[in-house]
Amino acid sequence: MMAQPAQFVTAVASRTGPILIFMGAWQAFTMFGLTDPAFLPGLGAIGSALLDLVSGRDLFINLGMSLLTGMSGLVLGIVIGVPLGMLMALSKLADGFFGPLVKATYSLPKSALIPLFVLWFGIGGMTNILAVALTALLPIVIYTYHGVHSVPHIFVWSAKSLGTPNWKMLVRILLPASSHAILTGIRIALGFSFIITIAAEMIVSNYGIGKLMFQYGDSGAYNYMFAAIAAVVLVAYLADVSLMAITNYLLRWQDPVEKHG
Amino acid sequence: MARATALRSAGKLGQGVIALYPLALIIALWEMVTRLGWVRPLFLPPFSAVIEQLHNLALDGELLPPLAISLYRTFAGLSIAMLVGLPLGFLMVRSRILRWLFEPFVAIGLPAPKIALIPIFTLWFGIDHMAKIMLVALTSVFPFIVAAAAGARTVALNQIWAARAMGSSELTLLHRVILPASLPSLMSGLRVAVPIGLLTTFTTEMVAGGGLGGALVMAQRYFETPTVYAYLLVMLFCGYVIDIGLLRLRRRVLRWHEG
Repeated sequence: MMAQPAQFVTAVASRTGPILIFMGAWQAFTMFGLTDPAFLPGLGAIGSALLDLVSGRDLFINLGMSLLTGMSGLVLGIVIGVPLGMLMALSKLADGFFGPLVKATYSLPKSALIPLFVLWFGIGGMTNILAVALTALLPIVIYTYHGVHSVPHIFVWSAKSLGTPNWKMLVRILLPASSHAILTGIRIALGFSFIITIAAEMIVSNYGIGKLMFQYGDSGAYNYMFAAIAAVVLVAYLADVSLMAITNYLLRWQDPVEKHG
Repeated sequence: MARATALRSAGKLGQGVIALYPLALIIALWEMVTRLGWVRPLFLPPFSAVIEQLHNLALDGELLPPLAISLYRTFAGLSIAMLVGLPLGFLMVRSRILRWLFEPFVAIGLPAPKIALIPIFTLWFGIDHMAKIMLVALTSVFPFIVAAAAGARTVALNQIWAARAMGSSELTLLHRVILPASLPSLMSGLRVAVPIGLLTTFTTEMVAGGGLGGALVMAQRYFETPTVYAYLLVMLFCGYVIDIGLLRLRRRVLRWHEG
């Protein structure tokens, strides 16, 4: 699947074409004064704000703190979620206990837990990480559960007949066979992690990119606010693309995962 | 006969009650540790106190009006998202130019944390309904686009050819062939979009005020813990009831689909 360089260039040009058209229209609107620059800053103003942010420390410190929060929560969700999902798939007792709890909490909009966690843990670190972890947990549990459930019986039977001990069955058979589903769950959880991290920082926090965006908005520095938001969207996109790359690498023995499926 | 059916449905009910034992267990444990004073009521008030507070809030008119506002914002936003997203998703499958034009935006917009746009939307649309409705529309439009495109792609080509051969126009084709054939996918999209819509509404309200989300944050700021829990229960219940409703709707709409 090695594409020719010329093909690659046309592919990239074709993908970025619509975005260039959109940015051109934006620039035209602001240049000819069709929109109020206070409500929609020009691309030049946003670009110079972005350059200023990238050369300073505020953006990196706050974005870094947000990423640390989001990733800690996500990792916590994976560390608890994958074993819990497997346990529920393998044990009727665990399924009977956790199943109704998962079902009951699944439809709660998780950001609603942020004020409660503020009551428990105060403003900042712990509250934000736990809110992310709890949000990330549920999709991971559900996808792991369904993944383990859909492992073909014949794998388990053949492994058993070869005398595989239980722990080896878990690590060598069930985990690899359900890894596709687990990674899909993690991808959904990644999206939620970003949402809840930023939401927590906007609702109540003393650091983070969500807080920074709000400060720029409150002080009327709208071009900085747009620049900070652009940085967040870019980082979230890169995180999603990296996770896809990791997934495809881990599952290189399977059929490739389609892009936005 | 009648007795047998009654017995069977009683058995079913019994099974349902038994299946809910973990919830009952947790509520009992919650009531016990709070009654025994093992946790401070500031962190966890007794479950009975939360229910009592729920009752008081309902009587004082602090429950239904904010709930109605939140639901109005959610469903107004979802309706816009559906009206924009479904045609766009269908057209992106039918037309190469539209696919070329919109695909990059879907690729970037789908995973983007659109909640970050709250300050921009507040700037553009003010602090009342409009900002929340538009943000709900933006966050939930992507699942609709993806579901419509996925559904339209599953339509068998020979069905399209057959309809064409019988002289269907592009509009009839959409309405009579593509839309019904992609209903299963659309129902899945709806089930993804609705929780996202609720999450967006509540979060935006927590940041910018109003509705259940605003009420929840206010209660937390004044350390009215029972009120915090009461609103949380309402949000949980809301999400749950709507999800059950969507499952029912799916079964009704797709009677012909999966047995």
